[in-house]
Amino acid sequence: MAVAEAERDLIVKAQDGDRGAFGDLVHLHRQGVVNVVYHMCGDGHLAEDAAQEAFIRAWKHLPKYKPYAPFRNWLYRIATNVARDVLRRERETVDVETLPLATAKAGPEASLVHAQRGERVRAAVLELPPASREALVLREYEGLSYQEIADTLDIPIGTVMSRLNYARKRLSEMLAPYLEEL
Amino acid sequence: MSEHVTEWLSAYHDGALEERRLRQVKLHLLECEACRAALDTLQKLSALLQESPAPATLTRPDRFVAQVGLRLPRRQEQPPGKRALGLAWRLMPVGLLGAWVFSQTLFLVAKWLMWVWRTPVGGEYFAAILPVALPASFWAGVSQLADASLLDVGRLFLQPGVGWETFLQSAALILIGICYCSWLASWWAYRRHLQGRELKIEN
Repeated sequence: MAVAEAERDLIVKAQDGDRGAFGDLVHLHRQGVVNVVYHMCGDGHLAEDAAQEAFIRAWKHLPKYKPYAPFRNWLYRIATNVARDVLRRERETVDVETLPLATAKAGPEASLVHAQRGERVRAAVLELPPASREALVLREYEGLSYQEIADTLDIPIGTVMSRLNYARKRLSEMLAPYLEEL
Repeated sequence: MSEHVTEWLSAYHDGALEERRLRQVKLHLLECEACRAALDTLQKLSALLQESPAPATLTRPDRFVAQVGLRLPRRQEQPPGKRALGLAWRLMPVGLLGAWVFSQTLFLVAKWLMWVWRTPVGGEYFAAILPVALPASFWAGVSQLADASLLDVGRLFLQPGVGWETFLQSAALILIGICYCSWLASWWAYRRHLQGRELKIEN
């Protein structure tokens, strides 16, 4: 509760143009926004750039933000839109299949099998249609409820369910060999 | 055996089912091996996805915040006149409510004064306290006006027997109603405009 109140104070100050308060908000939500964008586009560098862009868009539109929905969900909405833009832009210059393997950076102790599995999972998620991927990322990685996903993506709850069903069905098919191993 | 619940398994796995459906799925799972296997796959899939988390950010948090801070554009300040106009527009319903209360009070007081004035004692009292002695023809005119019906005056819009008080009261109410409806319509249009612009910008 205290965190929510502190965040509300920061939002009000940032809405009045306080850059320091907005900096604190960025600090609070940085990892969440980077995660969402990373799972949408599959590259750490792209994700950081896109996350910065998402925060800049958020700053521009902050005066219009109404606290009907949690600030985090509002940010995620912007982040998923930025991720879509990034994917559209990058598709023309970069092949997402050849992006660097994120798990390979975990260190020498990371096993090759684990890295390969992580790579395959990442590739499978990237193969999903963007609409299903967004719902899956918000549910699986950010733990948003169906209602929160519906609010964030501005879609009905029934659509959230069908997109998640589709995404999980496709992933189960694509990752069947790995699922059998577990 | 009841019908398969494949389409609800995902929501069941996420704990997003409402009570009735939840009971139905639970009961079905007790007797259906295929659906239990499908649920198991969903659970394994979630575990597999968690094995592929996002990497720790490459830029240090404070550096990331500083980079965002450097890229933030300046906000355009709203001129004070426009801000005051905006505030006045937002407060319009309160103003209209105030106007309605004021008009009702005014009519009530006027009615009461008129009633007192018509009594012999009241009439004498009013004649005594008025600073200027008014001619008798003026009082006769007021009396006539108070008793006159709209039919006598205009014979246009209202039913016979409707007095001036009722007419003015209704007119004030209609005017306030029109103002409020206009405000409501413009507020709705403004909200639509804002939502459209917001969606366009966020996209």
